[in-house]
Amino acid sequence: MNFIKITIFKLNYSVFLPLWNSRWIVLPVMTSIFIMAMIIGSVLAAPREVIEGDVQRLMYIHVPSAIISYFAFGITAVSSAIFLINGKMRWDAIARASAGVGVLLTIFVLSTGAIWGKPIWGIYWTWDARLTSTLVLLLIYCSYLLVRNLGNANDTKAARYASIVGLIGYLDIPLIHFSVDWWRTLHPQRIVFDIRPSLPTEMLIVLAIAFLAIFLLVLWLILLSATTEYLHQQIGKLSGDLEQMEN
Amino acid sequence: MDNALEFMFAGFAVFWAGLFVYLLILQQRIRSLNDQILVLRERLKGITSNDNSE
Repeated sequence: MNFIKITIFKLNYSVFLPLWNSRWIVLPVMTSIFIMAMIIGSVLAAPREVIEGDVQRLMYIHVPSAIISYFAFGITAVSSAIFLINGKMRWDAIARASAGVGVLLTIFVLSTGAIWGKPIWGIYWTWDARLTSTLVLLLIYCSYLLVRNLGNANDTKAARYASIVGLIGYLDIPLIHFSVDWWRTLHPQRIVFDIRPSLPTEMLIVLAIAFLAIFLLVLWLILLSATTEYLHQQIGKLSGDLEQMEN
Repeated sequence: MDNALEFMFAGFAVFWAGLFVYLLILQQRIRSLNDQILVLRERLKGITSNDNSE
């Protein structure tokens, strides 16, 4: 037991701490490299799909954005739950930041999906189960941000109400994920997260790079945004303390 | 269907435009943080100069 504790402690100080301290250099550089690789891979390197043509290349933005938005909203849900338990405002800052990034990704998913759908289905939008449940997810987390913005950075009441929305809103994600199995939809079935993915290897490699690129981008944006929110909270507190000193 | 190349470019444009708007919003938030720090500094200066005069 002691051995495990010592190993974790050593790992923490030898690997994670230097990585954490250099996050503002490592993350932007890594993100830029992988985004560049994603664009080159999706536009030039990936093979052209025979039936759908070049528009199918939107998959390299659409699919990773969808899956990673679940991750961003997952952070919101977990941070909201922790905030509801311990009431520490730093968790509210993380939840708020990841909800904003999740909303951005969901806008990417819906808009690239609509643009992809037009030449393939002949329409931009249909009230299909997958599309509608994704739109509901966007509206839930927009309302989360709206509720949270009603109060200032240190408003615990607004943070508490927003946390409840953030936590309950996550229940929509299993509904989105399984909607293609539970209902007959225009949206295609899962092609990546299946026992046997139905994509050629070249496409899968580019898709993996795109996943990593968007994951790094999201991680960077969440960290940047959460730090800004946390600083707003700290400055709000300092301002309150100064007011007391002045009086 | 041809190539539907214009749709592909439209999709990529949405990605970049969205990212740009998000970064603009974030920059605005950081600028307001900067303004708040300046206000705090001025108030702190006021308090310390009052203490010195007393």
